[in-house]
Amino acid sequence: MKAEATDPLDEQLAKARSGDQRAFAALVRAHQRSVYSLALRMLTDPGAAEDLAQDVFLQLHRKLSMIESSAHLAFWLRKIATHRAIDRLRQQPAASVAALEEADLLGVHIEGDPLLQRQLRELILDLSPAARAVILLRFQEDLDPLDIARTLEMPINTVKSHLKRSLATLRDRVLNRDARSEGHLV
Amino acid sequence: MNDLEDKMRDALRPVGPTDGFSDRVLARLASGTQRSTQEAQARPRFHRANSRWVSIALAASIVVAVLIGQQWRVQQQEEGLKARRQLIEALRVTSDKLDLAYQVVNDPSPSEAQHEPGV
Repeated sequence: MKAEATDPLDEQLAKARSGDQRAFAALVRAHQRSVYSLALRMLTDPGAAEDLAQDVFLQLHRKLSMIESSAHLAFWLRKIATHRAIDRLRQQPAASVAALEEADLLGVHIEGDPLLQRQLRELILDLSPAARAVILLRFQEDLDPLDIARTLEMPINTVKSHLKRSLATLRDRVLNRDARSEGHLV
Repeated sequence: MNDLEDKMRDALRPVGPTDGFSDRVLARLASGTQRSTQEAQARPRFHRANSRWVSIALAASIVVAVLIGQQWRVQQQEEGLKARRQLIEALRVTSDKLDLAYQVVNDPSPSEAQHEPGV
């Protein structure tokens, strides 16, 4: 996990560890998108996602001394964010399938088929918290199965199984949707 | 499958929080630091006040225990005296009865003397 201090984030990390609040704010800004997105797509509630993301960064501030590099920082933030989100969903399962209109807030990026994108995001909400985290780390964070397994502290075969089953389910539902829409056109 | 994976990546592009997120984190950090400092300052006062109340409660418990013990001892003594008085009374009554019986046995009645054969 050690890296040479050539990455600007490594320098910011070193400054933040020595108590520089501006450097810490720079670290927050560099990672807030990833942490907040994971929280939002896990919890679907923007307010809860904001709270969870803030809690993750407050925990980071307390644990700065154990962060070894910017790569370790990204890994640590994803790990804490997903674990906290899974824990919260297990405590309050009703919140996991809350208002789908909240999920619409996710549709900021519109490129391709916006309806399909929305449907995919809604379908992800039907997955179990662990399976949802696997899908998000794979397709939002672009992690490979080994990194997902390390992040979620899960056997790699479980990660592969989640990916396979979740993608099969999503593909079936997307195909059904396409078949239905073609049926309407005929 | 690859097409679906590409669509998943499109659908799950990261979105950012509302503006000022890092400022809000720093504000919470500052308020948390302030709060923990206040808590650290308040803690010795709390402990002092707490230990004073513990001492008072302990002293009060000891006094109450001593009083209860004394009362119990006095009550035991009173019950002992009462039992002794009852025993003495019982012995006195028994003694009176025995005296009466002794008198009856030693002083035969005149009617009994007349009926004795050979008199």
